[in-house]
Amino acid sequence: MKTLVDSFHTAIFRRAVFEAVLIGAIAGIVGVHVALRRLPFFVVAMSHATFPGVVIASVAGFSLFVGGTGFGLLVVALVLVLGARRALDDSSVIGVVLAGSFALGVLILSARPGSSTDLSAFLVGSVLTVTSGDIITTIAVGAIVLAVLSLLHKEIVFGAFDRVGAGALGYRTWVLDGVVLVAVTITMAAAVPAVGTLLAVALLTVPAMTARLWTDRIRPTMALAATFGALSGFVGLCVSAIWAVAAGGAIALTAGVCFVISLAATTSRSALQRRHAGVAGFGAA
Amino acid sequence: MLHDLIIRPFESGYMQRALIEVVLLGVLGGIVGVHVMMRKMAFVTEVVQHTVFPGIAIAFAFGHSLLLGALCAGALSMVLLTVGTRRSAIDSDSFMALLIATFFAFGVIVVSRQRSFQSDLTALLFGRILTVDRQEIVDTIIVGAISVIVLWALHKELVMRAFDPAYTGALGYRIDVIDLVLNLVVMLIVVAAVRAVGTVLVVAFIVTPAAAARLVFRRVRTMMVASALGAAVCGWIGLIVIFHGSIDHGWRVAAGSTIVLVFTLAFVIVWAASAVFARRGRGSGSAASVEAAS
Repeated sequence: MKTLVDSFHTAIFRRAVFEAVLIGAIAGIVGVHVALRRLPFFVVAMSHATFPGVVIASVAGFSLFVGGTGFGLLVVALVLVLGARRALDDSSVIGVVLAGSFALGVLILSARPGSSTDLSAFLVGSVLTVTSGDIITTIAVGAIVLAVLSLLHKEIVFGAFDRVGAGALGYRTWVLDGVVLVAVTITMAAAVPAVGTLLAVALLTVPAMTARLWTDRIRPTMALAATFGALSGFVGLCVSAIWAVAAGGAIALTAGVCFVISLAATTSRSALQRRHAGVAGFGAA
Repeated sequence: MLHDLIIRPFESGYMQRALIEVVLLGVLGGIVGVHVMMRKMAFVTEVVQHTVFPGIAIAFAFGHSLLLGALCAGALSMVLLTVGTRRSAIDSDSFMALLIATFFAFGVIVVSRQRSFQSDLTALLFGRILTVDRQEIVDTIIVGAISVIVLWALHKELVMRAFDPAYTGALGYRIDVIDLVLNLVVMLIVVAAVRAVGTVLVVAFIVTPAAAARLVFRRVRTMMVASALGAAVCGWIGLIVIFHGSIDHGWRVAAGSTIVLVFTLAFVIVWAASAVFARRGRGSGSAASVEAAS
């Protein structure tokens, strides 16, 4: 415990906690849209696909966020173009593109000296080396993404539940899809410096799923998901400070533990309700 | 010239072993990949390749067999996947992302407690195709033989379940058992490939050749032969590129990624070629395409 208290006295650790909590909250809210549109595989793919962008940015010396976003959007376009052929289903195309672009990232990285050190930082993040610039980027990204998502909330949710209906009412469903995909990609790129490409997946999917266990309504799900995401960031960092384990791993694992506890709690709750009411439980629809 | 290009790389023992391993994995991945694609299971493959990681990490840390560690972790994740997606409140895609995140995070934590963290993590993630030994090739042959026999014996059932799940169920087949068998076969092949190409690039061996074959062929067996052959040839070309690149030009390239990029390049070429042919053939009336139900 003493090491934890000591850690909080340093500015580095306080910055790290702030960044992790911030990303956890933003990713939690965006994650609800990911779950609604069944995009988890897309999230996993983007976590790999933004990797070459991050590598190129670090080699060329510009912002990792810009590199990740730029390459991520390129990959989204590629998936849409390659997937336009009827013979191939989306998941196969995503699989091909994610493996190819990840291999490209590794290849560029392996071509320069001292690569293995950098590589693990990209994968599991280095939240303790977060700069004020990273935090400002995160705040800006979070503000823009959340503003757009809340402005278009009704339309996006409608499109997710009833694509045909939304189209018939004159909404351009592909624009709504595009807005969500871009929001996910940008959030992913902002999370990369802190939790790494692979574990950003955890914050974009797990908190939303955990929240979904507790409630069926969308806005409460978002509030809960943001809470679980922020909590995972905070607790994960504390765990990593106490036991000196990789921060990104600890954050993702905390999110997983939250899910398991919630699953146990909601399962026993709905079982109890069923027994008391003597009717079918309404907890899990 | 030709001898220099094709034969010389494989004069040394380690390149021969690498070639045998790559061709074996290419054939296995190509065959199972067609099933994976028919069932739209690319995400499951992605899940397996990440969830075997903690098994390998733990086995590595405690000095046990990597193959055994990977098998245990892979089997555990497949069982969790089957059990976890039974509850309707849990979307199967979200649950798969959860499995990836938590298993992978656990593996990273285990490795981060080790002293030689960086280089070990890199080796586990990206594999060492050029240091494959005799034992690993024997393991691959055994795992491959089991997988191919299972796929061959259940071929009709697997294809029927892919195209018409309702009818398969009505005939009395247990769909969940068929699914579990296919998941386990995919897991076996991922485990066999993981030490050679690493935990993040295995998916390319399974998904990419099959997707390319699907663009050209319509029949399941033809697709399997084409994707197995294509993957083996691409693996061979990849090794030649690695050899000449590193020996003649002094490039520092990661072997596994080079092979995967050859796969991807071949896919893009096939995609472009078939797009051109499809445009030409449209006038003369092409056959209706076959679509698999998920």
